[in-house]
Amino acid sequence: MEAMKTTNVRTAVVRADGLSRRYGAVRALDGVDLTLGRGITGLLGPNGAGKTTLLSILATVGEPDAGQVSAFGLDPRNAAERVEIRRRLGYLPQELGYHRHFTAAAFLDYVAILKEITDRRRRAQEVARVLAATGLEDRARTRIRALSGGMRQRLGIAQALLGEPELLILDEPTAGLDPEQRLRFRELLSGLPGEPVIVLSTHQADDIAAICPRVVVLLRGQVHFTGTPAELAATADGRVWAAGERDPRAHLSWRGGDNRWRHIGEASPAGAELVAPTVEDGYLLLSHAADAR
Amino acid sequence: MTSPLPAAGEHAGEDLLASYAAGTVEPVVVWSVEAHLTRCAACRGALSGHVDQRRLARNRGVLLVRVAIGDGGRVHRLLRRCGVPDHLLRLLAATPSLRGSWLLSVIGVLAVVAGEAAAFRHGRMPGAGPAIGYQDPAVLAPFLLVAPLLVLAVVAVAFLPMFDPASRLAVAAPFSGVTLLLVRTVCALAAALVPVVVAAFVVPGPGWLPAALLLPSLALSAFTLAAATLVDPRAAAVMAGGLWAAPALLLATSNAPLLIVQHHAQVACAAVLCASAVVLLIRRDRLEMGWKR
Repeated sequence: MEAMKTTNVRTAVVRADGLSRRYGAVRALDGVDLTLGRGITGLLGPNGAGKTTLLSILATVGEPDAGQVSAFGLDPRNAAERVEIRRRLGYLPQELGYHRHFTAAAFLDYVAILKEITDRRRRAQEVARVLAATGLEDRARTRIRALSGGMRQRLGIAQALLGEPELLILDEPTAGLDPEQRLRFRELLSGLPGEPVIVLSTHQADDIAAICPRVVVLLRGQVHFTGTPAELAATADGRVWAAGERDPRAHLSWRGGDNRWRHIGEASPAGAELVAPTVEDGYLLLSHAADAR
Repeated sequence: MTSPLPAAGEHAGEDLLASYAAGTVEPVVVWSVEAHLTRCAACRGALSGHVDQRRLARNRGVLLVRVAIGDGGRVHRLLRRCGVPDHLLRLLAATPSLRGSWLLSVIGVLAVVAGEAAAFRHGRMPGAGPAIGYQDPAVLAPFLLVAPLLVLAVVAVAFLPMFDPASRLAVAAPFSGVTLLLVRTVCALAAALVPVVVAAFVVPGPGWLPAALLLPSLALSAFTLAAATLVDPRAAAVMAGGLWAAPALLLATSNAPLLIVQHHAQVACAAVLCASAVVLLIRRDRLEMGWKR
């Protein structure tokens, strides 16, 4: 574990130290320390945990009240260095607005210009590349207002991929995608060339388990866990059990598809049938512990 | 080394076709192969097996994208011929107030206020009595109040983030926010001034009226931009509107509406324009969105 931490720090490309951000009386971020290296990091947390605020600060869109961020050794407080970070950035905001009268291709062309791809031929190649990567090549001429929610989400992912960014910040990228599209999205991220730094937020633990070698759990504006998905699942070792009846001692209980009850608690009762914990179990236990504080 | 060129009555070798498809043969050989291909269906069929299907699909994708993006229409083509860079014109296409519907609304409002003034002059309004001419300044009051406010509205819609659905993407992109904002503002200003000046010719005012509206329109737009570096952009637009509407209404109720575009007012507008330009120059960095609250 210690060796892994050392490796992460050595290869850190993005670093956040003591980030705090308030919105009126609400404390969205409360002293967040984070390092991101090459590869995919999943940011897991419930709605309102501060994921979007954290990602918008990493994407140089928002500013923290306190703390510091750096990416590629550059400081976003400096205007020139901020532009340099943006040159290497692909960002999917949680609520991405679209010019609904644009076609999918024209919208991507517009974003490509904002990313300083001014040569027309290169822009067309880049737009065609990201449309193909997100399975939207046949929708190039479709107006955005005629696209389904899932297609718009893919278009949002496509615009983030323009220019082959080294830092990809994706806020809830799988929201609105059906299971097959989520699978394609996972394939897409895993196959990106050059091993970019990718951070994606989600509240779906199965996304994390499937594609993220590293997971950060954010609860109430604070980092509560950093490690691998297996380590997150292991935090629930001995604390997940199955039974035919509901167990009142458990923190959380729900009936599964096999009609048996799955329980999560501080410790399994004697004689309980212990089951192997999942990433979701570990996350739910952490979340419950944070709520109980 | 590729196999020799096909002799009369023979077929091209597989190596030669593969090299031709890959584009690695000498130009002289290319001509010979192509001459042979035009009369040999068997070799054409054999060639298709050597064509890189992925490259073909990529080229097809780029072609589709170029068709989907289009050439932007007549105005776009004309401006491009005049030397305006294509990418700047594409950025302008995303400016809401430069869309036909917005400009038609502006023309509609101007038609109402200018038409009303013209109808009064020609004594065609019910109860207006005989033709009264612009010597009755009350006729011009609505037009003088509305015209610069319309220019201001078009400019405000061009640069307020609330009217750009994809503004978060523009913030996170490296393209200069100041350039984007200024280009949009200048174009919106030019587009709005045309119908305003035309209407000023139509209304029964003094001959210098069209020219007299230019400075107030410029001053209000510059004031809005300059104030946006100090306060919220929406508040800046409202302040600019008040700066015009209050004295215009006051002078209209004093039966001297033309004073708002006469000597002293022109001097005041020139002063506002100069002061705004200085503020803009000093505080232009604050127009760059992102990394600020």
